[in-house]
Amino acid sequence: MNITIGYLYGDLMNIYGDTGNIIALKKRAEWRGISIKVKVKSLKEKLKLKEVDLFFFGGGQDQQQEIVSQDLVKSGKGKIIKQEVEKGVPLLSVCGGYQLLGDYYKPHKGPKLPGIGLFPTYTLASHDRMIGNIIIESMFGKLVGFENHSGKTYLKKGALPFGMVNKGFGNNGADKTEGCIYKNAIGCYMHGSLLPKNPKLADWLLKKALEVKYKKVVNLKPLDDALESQTHHSVLQSVS
Amino acid sequence: MRAAILIGKAVYSLSRSLKIGGGSAAPGLYALKIDANLVEKLAKSIPKNIVITGTNGKTTTSRMISHFAKENDLKVIRNHTGSNLERGIASTLISNYQLLTTNYQLDLGIWELDEAAFNTVAPKLNPNIVIFLNVSRDQLDRYGEVDKVVNDWCSTLSKLNPQTAVLINQDDKNLEKLEKYFKGKVVKFGKKNIKNIKLNGLKGSKFTISNLQFTIPLPGLYHIYNATAAIIGAKLLNLPAKSFKDFSPAFGRVEKFEWGYIFLIKNPAGATQVFETIAPELKKNDRLLLALNDNLADGTDVSWIWDANFEKLSTINYQLSTTCSGTRAYDLANRLKYAGFSLDTSDVEQNLEQAFKKAKKNLKGRLFILPTYTAMLKLQKILAKSGIKKHYWESD
Repeated sequence: MNITIGYLYGDLMNIYGDTGNIIALKKRAEWRGISIKVKVKSLKEKLKLKEVDLFFFGGGQDQQQEIVSQDLVKSGKGKIIKQEVEKGVPLLSVCGGYQLLGDYYKPHKGPKLPGIGLFPTYTLASHDRMIGNIIIESMFGKLVGFENHSGKTYLKKGALPFGMVNKGFGNNGADKTEGCIYKNAIGCYMHGSLLPKNPKLADWLLKKALEVKYKKVVNLKPLDDALESQTHHSVLQSVS
Repeated sequence: MRAAILIGKAVYSLSRSLKIGGGSAAPGLYALKIDANLVEKLAKSIPKNIVITGTNGKTTTSRMISHFAKENDLKVIRNHTGSNLERGIASTLISNYQLLTTNYQLDLGIWELDEAAFNTVAPKLNPNIVIFLNVSRDQLDRYGEVDKVVNDWCSTLSKLNPQTAVLINQDDKNLEKLEKYFKGKVVKFGKKNIKNIKLNGLKGSKFTISNLQFTIPLPGLYHIYNATAAIIGAKLLNLPAKSFKDFSPAFGRVEKFEWGYIFLIKNPAGATQVFETIAPELKKNDRLLLALNDNLADGTDVSWIWDANFEKLSTINYQLSTTCSGTRAYDLANRLKYAGFSLDTSDVEQNLEQAFKKAKKNLKGRLFILPTYTAMLKLQKILAKSGIKKHYWESD
């Protein structure tokens, strides 16, 4: 079996160690004999249907985020991502990537940056920096990460949060929600990197990617995650 | 101002006598609360000031310029404990207050400022020279993104006294736009100045600048850049810069001991340079001790370890015995696992003192210690306690 990861705008949107998520997915697949190809899909690359089995979209700087926002619409990548997610293709987006997959991002100055409307969310720039270790309760159990954002994201009616905040700020620092989940697509504010110390989530993404691609139930071979669990545990302990 | 100085001095002697620190930040912190313009007022009485900023190499470059100044019998004042925020600068000024007030006892102030402090402190120092070494991702929780750091520098430069001379590393693309924001003299340095480079492993390097050969006891190309900045900076101050004879590296920056080395690691670019430098030098019986803390001075976000190329250390063809330590030891061990390190030869000991003892026990080769900033300070205390090294504030 093999998986192709589409690293969306990997050259522009890769801040705060988000590349660690790619490293985790790659290694955890390889350790199970699943071969992985990582394709960066940035301004110069085209994205075709059925080309990617798993999407990752990281955070970026303001200027890059603006360029990427335009390209998502203009190049048609946004439309294809939405079609794939409708089919069940898994996606993980963090921070800036998450913001651009909602309805829009409203900066302090200038017009709204349109998102692709995958998540029923919208984001407003704020003057609060929401920064620090974050712990959430989710369908994958407790997850730990590090958030660093000033944009505040709000869920529209019917949107499902990815998790509820135990420690930290989450979407907007007010309503205790963190991130958004739609089908097998996840948006969140969790850097850290997220997947290396939350291996359950990493494996869920791999499993979904294989199941959609090979149209059958896939059970991943268990790995020795003692060190990952200890890392997870030590963050929980030091934060709470 | 007097009250501010008195308080600062009192805190300084207290913290030194209690050995709770070198008095490198606390006196300034107290004094600045009383007189916010203290730095501006005190810096005026120093005939010449030079400011060094950038993500990596500030302390080493400062130390090199200080070396040239002392070779030329100049009396130098500088914030040399790596305390590069305004409070650190204020502390240094306070502890030298006597010299500052009895006319012309000092010749040169050398100030290293971190990416953020540059914007608030550089204008107050009204320096003769500013050096921009480089910029890359650093503690994002403190400084923000690279674009923001550079934009803030641009706006600070646009307001800086045009009498200042600005020295910029032209090989760092991120620094390109600084030039057009400054009205005064801009001097660029980089590859174009450096000829005949000979890297001689951990022993250091040789190179030529303006037909003069230099030897530095520091490894890696990145240190040649620091040295070039120091040499050209010294020239701009009309200081003859002839050799690095008797120059010794700053504490924790490639510090050599009988049993091994300490290399500070603190951000992706700097850490990767260290890995590239030591990887070809590692031998079978050598050991690694890596220490990752997430205190304020380290950056509270440890995500950066995923951007640092630890894979460079694991691609050598045997597994080194490796210990991970510090407040985020497990994050580090996990990073190493994903970089291809074997779990059989690496272990975790969060307590740095225990980790150090363990790593040194029955050591047949050399021990390479790679700590983040506060882990390095802790290490200095541990070394002092075991009689290996003086307290860092007692050494220059």
